[in-house]
Amino acid sequence: MAALLALFAGFATSFVFHFPPTLTAQPTTVGNGVTIHLETVAAISDAIAFPRPEDPHPDWVSYLPTTVLKVPANSVVTISIDQEDGASGLRNPYWAKAQGIIGGTFHMSYFDDAGAPQVGDFSSLPDPTSLGHSFAIPDLGVFVPLLGISDAAPAGSHNEITFSFKTGKPGTYRWQCFVPCGAGSIYGNGNAMSSFGYMQGTFVVQ
Amino acid sequence: MSRLDRTHALRLLVAWAVLSVVGVLIAMQVHLPPGDQSTQATDETSLLQLMLIISTPVFVGVVLFMLYSVFAFRQTRGAALEDGPPSYGNFRLQVAWVAITAVIVLILAVIGINGLTSSAAETNFASSQSALATGSSATASGNRLQVQVIGQQWWFTYRYPDFGGVESAHLMLPVDTNIEFHVTSTDVIHSFWAYELGVKADANPGADNITYVSTVHTGAFTVRCAELCGIWHGHMADTTAAVVSQADFQTWIAQVQKDNSDLHLPPYSPIYFPHPPIKGS
Repeated sequence: MAALLALFAGFATSFVFHFPPTLTAQPTTVGNGVTIHLETVAAISDAIAFPRPEDPHPDWVSYLPTTVLKVPANSVVTISIDQEDGASGLRNPYWAKAQGIIGGTFHMSYFDDAGAPQVGDFSSLPDPTSLGHSFAIPDLGVFVPLLGISDAAPAGSHNEITFSFKTGKPGTYRWQCFVPCGAGSIYGNGNAMSSFGYMQGTFVVQ
Repeated sequence: MSRLDRTHALRLLVAWAVLSVVGVLIAMQVHLPPGDQSTQATDETSLLQLMLIISTPVFVGVVLFMLYSVFAFRQTRGAALEDGPPSYGNFRLQVAWVAITAVIVLILAVIGINGLTSSAAETNFASSQSALATGSSATASGNRLQVQVIGQQWWFTYRYPDFGGVESAHLMLPVDTNIEFHVTSTDVIHSFWAYELGVKADANPGADNITYVSTVHTGAFTVRCAELCGIWHGHMADTTAAVVSQADFQTWIAQVQKDNSDLHLPPYSPIYFPHPPIKGS
């Protein structure tokens, strides 16, 4: 009995200690609303902006610094993502189109196939196989494709994707990546895709 | 049968008859799922209603006999403990209860099977060659519509082959229409469950699972995944699905076609097989 209790306590403690911390959105410097800065990496050990050396899975793809995001209700949220991972491609090309964001377009500074820096506003990515990851909050209707970094881009560089959307009533919504990017698993749906805190998390509106 | 036995039997019979009538009247007022948005849902609701009405007198009879026995035949305080008379069975009673039970179960089976087979026949799809099989993109004529349901971790999307194979993250259906759902998946096994429409079908990767619904009333409904499919299975639900009027549907599908203009979807296909099977290999 005591052993069972110890085992349970061990699981509970390790779960609590491994639960991702919460990132509260910061007020924007211009206008009202809040902003969140995220980073997507091919492997956690390669992180530039938000290193996480203590992570038990340094070779997994992940959103960083955390996947529990907190924002105020009925406000404009601007998310900017440093996308450092290469292209994986979508299984359903439908997700290459941005939905539910203000203006219908996202702003992107990126590197083209020749490695030259480019800037532009997009409503979708022309090539569904060019996606590295995606950011989606299905229950809020928010879907944004993230372009994979070009092979010709300089080492250590990233595509920066920025978009805004409005939050409604308070609640906890899930968000996730729709690119099956769990390398080494069946259909790419394993490891980072099926564990909380890597390619999905909760979006707390309050 | 002694006089005392006859009194007990008469009391039980009268009480059973009265309580059964009251019970059936109450049972007829109970609102039963799944509703009346489609003919399939209506069929299921009326079958549940029928089962409730048939089972009410049985339930009343069993409970009443048990309670009556507890009170009428209880041992009086202080009396010597004594066993009842031995029972050797009653052939006529046994035949009667087996026969009545068999008749009820067979009637329900006939009604149920009839409901299942007619759900496909009502749509007129069963005898006609579908646009999918011929590979042509038929127009939505004669109030029939094909809708493809694609499960993926963790959301359902819907393609409308009758409208150029456009895709949407939400399910809209026109009213008074025979819908042919083609359910498939791009990754693991999901299950498309539109509870209020009375339809549920597994979404298997590499398989085209066909099911039918005939919409009769407008209104919102919920689509849920009914097969444990991963970490966000519990959140794989669309609460914005709706059966809308023909005019509203045309407006909506025109907007979807516009939204799809900058999308590069693959040609419409009954299945979309995941490739490669192992990521990063």
